[in-house]
Amino acid sequence: MALASGVRVPARALLRPWALLWGTTLGRREPAAGGGGDGERRFGSQRVLVEPDAAAGVAVMKFRNPPVNSLSLELLTELVISLEKLENDKTFRGVILTSDCPRVFSAGLDLTEMCGRNPAHYAEYWKAMQELWLRTYLSSLVLVAAINGACPAGGCVIALACDYRVLADNPKYRIGLNETLLGIIAPFWVKDAYVNTIGHRAAEQALQLGLLFPPAEALQVGLVDQVAPEDQVLSTALSEMARWLAIPDHARQLTKNMMRKATADRLLRQRDADIQNFVSFICRDSIQKSLQVYLEKLRQRKG
Amino acid sequence: MKFRNPPVNSLSLELLTELVISLEKLENDKTFRGVILTSDCPRVFSAGLDLTEMCGRNPAHYAEYWKAMQELWLRTYLSSLVLVAAINGACPAGGCVIALACDYRVLADNPKYRIGLNETLLGIIAPFWVKDAYVNTIGHRAAEQALQLGLLFPPAEALQVGLVDQVAPEDQVLSTALSEMARWLAIPDHARQLTKNMMRKATADRLLRQRDADIQNFVSFICRDSIQKSLQVYLEKLRQRKG
Repeated sequence: MALASGVRVPARALLRPWALLWGTTLGRREPAAGGGGDGERRFGSQRVLVEPDAAAGVAVMKFRNPPVNSLSLELLTELVISLEKLENDKTFRGVILTSDCPRVFSAGLDLTEMCGRNPAHYAEYWKAMQELWLRTYLSSLVLVAAINGACPAGGCVIALACDYRVLADNPKYRIGLNETLLGIIAPFWVKDAYVNTIGHRAAEQALQLGLLFPPAEALQVGLVDQVAPEDQVLSTALSEMARWLAIPDHARQLTKNMMRKATADRLLRQRDADIQNFVSFICRDSIQKSLQVYLEKLRQRKG
Repeated sequence: MKFRNPPVNSLSLELLTELVISLEKLENDKTFRGVILTSDCPRVFSAGLDLTEMCGRNPAHYAEYWKAMQELWLRTYLSSLVLVAAINGACPAGGCVIALACDYRVLADNPKYRIGLNETLLGIIAPFWVKDAYVNTIGHRAAEQALQLGLLFPPAEALQVGLVDQVAPEDQVLSTALSEMARWLAIPDHARQLTKNMMRKATADRLLRQRDADIQNFVSFICRDSIQKSLQVYLEKLRQRKG
């Protein structure tokens, strides 16, 4: 999916994705940013850092796939694993999702996973994206997105799947589903989540025009629930988390499931067909060409 | 139509039954085209379901009670009459359910009179058909948040989120409701009724298709030890506040 036009992406990040995979941090544990975490409880992986917060029952999950947290197959997989671990750990009732990369929450789907590969790879990649969305959307945990950077396309998909969204008050940090600008389209289940969040008419317009909303507009249209000063996004997310954790878990979870089941089921009923549709679509010469053109534009902007 | 079940118009089995009977009489009487629903008890429109009907009773009773609540909702939601809620007091949970089923809601401008579906605060949940009415009224995202957090909205916020249509000074709630009623009665009945049915049929059908299953679900849920315990704890808290 699209990278926000305002986001600077080093060309090498796109040309040599393996450079990201075998970064210098491989195998080395890094000190937890922000500190205070219980060393034993902190876990994570290359691309996802998870730290318990001082608040009981809360963890902070940071995307760490520099430079722009593109949703590579690796990151998608690690996010799903991390979420599963947190769900199975009864100490955790809520998770803040945020970015470890400056100025970007997530730039969305990794175009190098969608371009110049074979159909089997596209199928594997899309299945992983479906999986992440389903796990986030239906999570029994309270998920609060602390959106501390640009949030287009796939980044917006993750934010939409959370229970609550806080966006930093920086006009450069726009959020929305801008797939059409790249000549591709959002899947129906993402459309459904968009409609559920901002309403049918707004979603119809925003999706077709590929709108990216700066903070004030995002708040006004209901795409985010709160806007906070950049240095207060995390603390604001934590305050909001406390409100949600004050509710008895079982009642909150049953209610969440009642609200979201129908939407999720529409995908669950036809996951394979949805994968086939994606693969057929992305394999089209015209679509591959669109994506190559876009990737080239990005490289030229950097070079 | 004034609810008169002091002190707080809890929706006892008796009140539910009498409301349904009254509505039926009014619908069958061609002289009446519209009804204002309001409260005869000070400071409360209705405090909602009568917890003593849901606690420490037998399953057969719970089934009878829930069936009566479904019946009231269906009769109000699909009524051919114009129903305007003149909300002259606090309106949580079951009270909000009735208000939501009306065609229009006027709330008194008193910050103590909050309205919303706060079931989760008691450890219980709203049924899906109430969720549907909530979504239809305030939208999916707002309903998702409000239901999970059990939000009770004071008048300004209730208006802003669309849960009520108008806020009026406390001594003008009834007259405001009557003014609004006149707008609705100015519309040819058949056209208005067909349109209302078109808008609401799908939502109502989702319950009608599975009334018995919904009753069974309620009974199983309410019979759980943990739920009975939650309700007892809440009842005890209320008693202590009175005593």
